[in-house]
Amino acid sequence: MAIPDALPFINLAWGDLLFLILSAVLVGSALLVVTLRDIIRCGLAMMVCFAALAGLYVLIGAPLVAAAQVLVYIGAISVLVLFAIMLTQTKAAPARLVFQTQALPAAIAAAILAFLIALTVGATNWNAVSAPIRTGTAILARVLFDQFVLPFEIVSVLLLAAVIGGIFLAKREQDGPA
Amino acid sequence: MSWADLATIAPLAAAILVAGLVILTDIALPGRRVPALAVSFIGLAVVAGLAIAVGVHPATAFGGAYRVDDLTTYLDLLFVAVIALTLMFAPDYLAARDLPLPEFAAVLIFALSGVMLISASADLVILFLGLELMVLPGYLLAGFAKRDALSTEGAIKYFLLGSFSSAIFLFGLAFVWGLTGTTRIDGVAAALKAIAGGSTPLSPGLAMGLAFLTTGVAFKIAAVPFHYWTPDAYQGSPTPVTGYLSVVPKIGAFALILRLFVGALGPLSADWDIIIVLLAAATMTLGNLVALTQDSVKRMLAYSSIAHTGYMLIGLAAWSSPNSRIEGLEGLLYYGAAYAFMNLGAFAVIAALQRRTGISSQLETFAGLGRREPLLAALMTLFLLSLTGIPPTAGFFAKAYIILAAVQAGGPAGILAVIAVLNAAVAAFYYLRVVVYMFMRDPRGEPAPLVVGRLMRSGLIVTAVLTVLLGLVPGLLLPIVGNAARALTL
Repeated sequence: MAIPDALPFINLAWGDLLFLILSAVLVGSALLVVTLRDIIRCGLAMMVCFAALAGLYVLIGAPLVAAAQVLVYIGAISVLVLFAIMLTQTKAAPARLVFQTQALPAAIAAAILAFLIALTVGATNWNAVSAPIRTGTAILARVLFDQFVLPFEIVSVLLLAAVIGGIFLAKREQDGPA
Repeated sequence: MSWADLATIAPLAAAILVAGLVILTDIALPGRRVPALAVSFIGLAVVAGLAIAVGVHPATAFGGAYRVDDLTTYLDLLFVAVIALTLMFAPDYLAARDLPLPEFAAVLIFALSGVMLISASADLVILFLGLELMVLPGYLLAGFAKRDALSTEGAIKYFLLGSFSSAIFLFGLAFVWGLTGTTRIDGVAAALKAIAGGSTPLSPGLAMGLAFLTTGVAFKIAAVPFHYWTPDAYQGSPTPVTGYLSVVPKIGAFALILRLFVGALGPLSADWDIIIVLLAAATMTLGNLVALTQDSVKRMLAYSSIAHTGYMLIGLAAWSSPNSRIEGLEGLLYYGAAYAFMNLGAFAVIAALQRRTGISSQLETFAGLGRREPLLAALMTLFLLSLTGIPPTAGFFAKAYIILAAVQAGGPAGILAVIAVLNAAVAAFYYLRVVVYMFMRDPRGEPAPLVVGRLMRSGLIVTAVLTVLLGLVPGLLLPIVGNAARALTL
């Protein structure tokens, strides 16, 4: 039996359904990152968030970006963040995160902004956007190292500056702990 | 990438190399200040020379993503001068607090490469990367005194709000890209011209994109009501860093505004100019009114720098009227140079006073300075008079050009001219209060004598000379500024 092109009854394409599920997971886990009070759980929720984003990348036809997202963000950065949390936690510091009192006004403002963005995006004719193109590694490499070679190199300079800064801030002074 | 491309980006590449060399010097000769400083100064001179050499022949590189024109050269030279002056003011202050100089110099020069990238970018992606390369070192420099809680607090506030505003800005860029289908500034301008030419109103998506972009840059230039990070970041930072933060990221963000709002979004100026007028009016007025109530001179100058953002925005508002396109940009660019030198000078005097640790920047510190340190007091008076806008200083001519351009523009920008004059009168009160403290109040107790290092002294004299020169002979800079403004309008 062949699978129909769209979901029966509500006529929703499979891709759209996947998009909705992934976006819901993305937004939900991102909310958990900022609302959970245990910092380790925040880190775990962040990994879910990154994974959902990787799924979205696959959906819009950028498997290479999705692979990089999984390798770099989930594989390296999240693990690094969790290690950093575990290594820097001291008994003196509060184990639970303290929240601002402005959470409610912030939530209301965020909800209004989200509504506005949804409204504008829906009401706009995005004529410059074409259908998603499946990009392979070869095309991507050619664009990256030809048309976008300067931004590519600048990103490495940016990272170098950030590394030098990070090392300076993290470095222990000779005369006692920083 | 071809050899011609490499030759065009030579000044930028040199700046990045110099930053790397400073770090390598520190690895080879650890803990020594003089070699790192020497490499920095020689390197900056090379960068300036290359910028002049490349700037003679306007060119594009990397398929039109990078463009060198008269505006690029003008901004590059201004930024090199400001970075060199910051490096003259910082060593004594850092040494007294056991803070390393080589890292400071390297990070500062990385920020220089960021602003140079902004001033030469003809592509939205490069514009954004330049912005990030400019502000990222700023976060580190704000927290450079890492054992000082205030410095760390200011740096974290700066970092968080700066990252948020960058994200908002990037979101806005995505909207513009989605509607125009290109990231090239020329392409965006051409696409928007087609949209603006029609009788249809602005599409909601584009309006939203404009709103995000305006919010993002308003954060970066510290325009009211997006200025909340400014006083804390400026007050907490080590004083030479405050001088740097109040000048380079601000004028760099104005360079970004010139490339983005004038270059790419120019066809839509009828839709954004009223927002700029409102921002300018609110920024001038609130900055000056809050500055009146400050007892810390550093915090006062932070609010005054917010007010100066408002004055510079007038130039942009004047540009959007067809009567005064060139004049508005000329005013903005002249103001940028004048503001850079006088504001840097004022912060440098505070840094000189704080050579020994534990000296606050409260008004009390300045009591009786006229008798104790006549040279420093005289220089501070000069910088403050220039910030007020009293002839024959740079600040006077800068304000005069901006206000004349606004009058010529007429309409809402004309009203800004009136608000600016009223604000200048209010500002005189708090600037001159410091002068009154220096010359007419007696210090409490007997403050220890001050030692002003040779590098600091020569830096102060250079800033003072430039402040007077830009006021006495504005004709020196005007042709250069005019060419830069015309390069953008072509």
